[in-house]
Amino acid sequence: MATFVTVSLKLLEGFGTTFFIFLITLLLAIPLGLPIALCSMSRFQPLRWLSRGFVWIIRGTPLMLQVIIVFYGPDLIGMPTSLPRMSAVVVAFVINYAAYFSEIYRGGIESIPKGQYEAGQVLGLRKGQIFFRITFLQVIKRIIPPMSNEIITLVKDTSLARIIAVRELIMEASTFIKTQALLWPLFYSGAFYLLFCGLLTILFNRLEKRLDYIKV
Amino acid sequence: MQNILEVQHLAKRFGSSEVLNDISFSLAKGEVVSIIGSSGSGKTTLLRCLNFLEQPDAGRILVSGETLFDAEDPSTKLDRSLRHKRLHFGLVFQSFHLFPQYTAKRNITLAMVLHAKERPNYRAEKREILAEIDARAEALLAEVGLSEKAALYPYQLSGGQQQRVAIARALALNPEILCFDEPTSALDPELSAEVLATIRRLADTGRTMILVTHEMSFARQVSSRVLFMADGRIHEQGTPEEIFGAPKSPRLQSFLANA
Ligand SMILES: Nc1ncnc2c1ncn2[C@@H]1O[C@H](COP(=O)(O)OP(=O)(O)O)[C@@H](O)[C@H]1O
Ligand SMILES: [Mg+2]
Repeated sequence: MATFVTVSLKLLEGFGTTFFIFLITLLLAIPLGLPIALCSMSRFQPLRWLSRGFVWIIRGTPLMLQVIIVFYGPDLIGMPTSLPRMSAVVVAFVINYAAYFSEIYRGGIESIPKGQYEAGQVLGLRKGQIFFRITFLQVIKRIIPPMSNEIITLVKDTSLARIIAVRELIMEASTFIKTQALLWPLFYSGAFYLLFCGLLTILFNRLEKRLDYIKV
Repeated sequence: MQNILEVQHLAKRFGSSEVLNDISFSLAKGEVVSIIGSSGSGKTTLLRCLNFLEQPDAGRILVSGETLFDAEDPSTKLDRSLRHKRLHFGLVFQSFHLFPQYTAKRNITLAMVLHAKERPNYRAEKREILAEIDARAEALLAEVGLSEKAALYPYQLSGGQQQRVAIARALALNPEILCFDEPTSALDPELSAEVLATIRRLADTGRTMILVTHEMSFARQVSSRVLFMADGRIHEQGTPEEIFGAPKSPRLQSFLANA
């Protein structure tokens, strides 16, 4: 019983780190995805190719590798300061997820029928008004399912942070194998992910219901 | 009497295909002009040019004597003046394009509210202005016979009701010239009737309108003039009696025979 409590507390600590990576990544990547999406749709070709090339690289390489590069990269090319571990994780995650989100945004924006924009235009509305007052909520409605998928993937991706020894949930759990020859804390850690993802699923379902009145 | 709309030698091409070719016509205040013609003859493109959704390659568009567009004059093509030019015209689309996230009433008020926000007195007189807009929306809903449906979302309305909301939305900003692009083509006959009745009432109250339609008998009843388009040109034009009663060109004759 005493071990169970110790393990639980340790795992909770690890989950704290996991949750921190998750939250900061979301908070930064969600807005950052938008300018990337807009660049990917820009009529100015060089910008479009730059943005799409960036997305291609980020989506075409493992997140684990990106974490390693952000952490060890600066050292390799002789830059004096490398980032603290946690910052390196957050930077890599934010870049990675912003790229994924940007593609979801782009798909959502491009799926809005042209007629919606034109209906706004003939009413003499500005581009910004059309975007925020007409298309925005329709885009939100359309991207909630792919976004919830991606966000739930993020929960589990946080475990990649241990590659540079950030003590997230899995790392805390696997420590018990080495120090006390206990395997079960690792299985136990799975319950944290399950519970958290379950909560998120409920949250997203609610959100989807809330927007049910928009039929696009 | 001065014409409210003057279209002179308008031309538009997409790539190598000439979609509009030397289109000229005019419209007096209170007139209803119907445009008929087979699919692909350029009717939609013409309405889109008038609403500044497409930029013509040649020609001029004048409203009440003011040159809104002149292909020869770059200063009439500036993006920033587009918004205001569009307000001279209203456009009702074939497939409605209502905003799905707003109720019928909000669809109508949205543009009025956004435009009101740009008025210098908006902050000071917000309440009065919004109340005014609300009252106007109510009146418009009554005008199209949908007072009861104000709080419903587009998907809760029939096609005919959606199109009437779209008409009310187009009327909200009180455009000088209201354009319809086949407003009943997406509707079943019985739903078309209620939309046509709405358009007829607008015609009776003296609205200046351009109506692209396949409803020949309706065009004959409400129009003061009819344009027949073929291959991007105005092939024949005249009063409804002339066009439907005594079509001159073989092209129009065969079009009417098949319609
Ligand atoms: N954006 C566009 N790009 C290329 N061709 C177009 C475009 N819009 C219309 N067209 C062509 O222009 C012609 C006229 O189209 P349209 O104005 O829609 O005719 P209508 O409304 O009389 O059926 C058609 O041949 C159509 O394919
Ligand atoms: Mg058409």
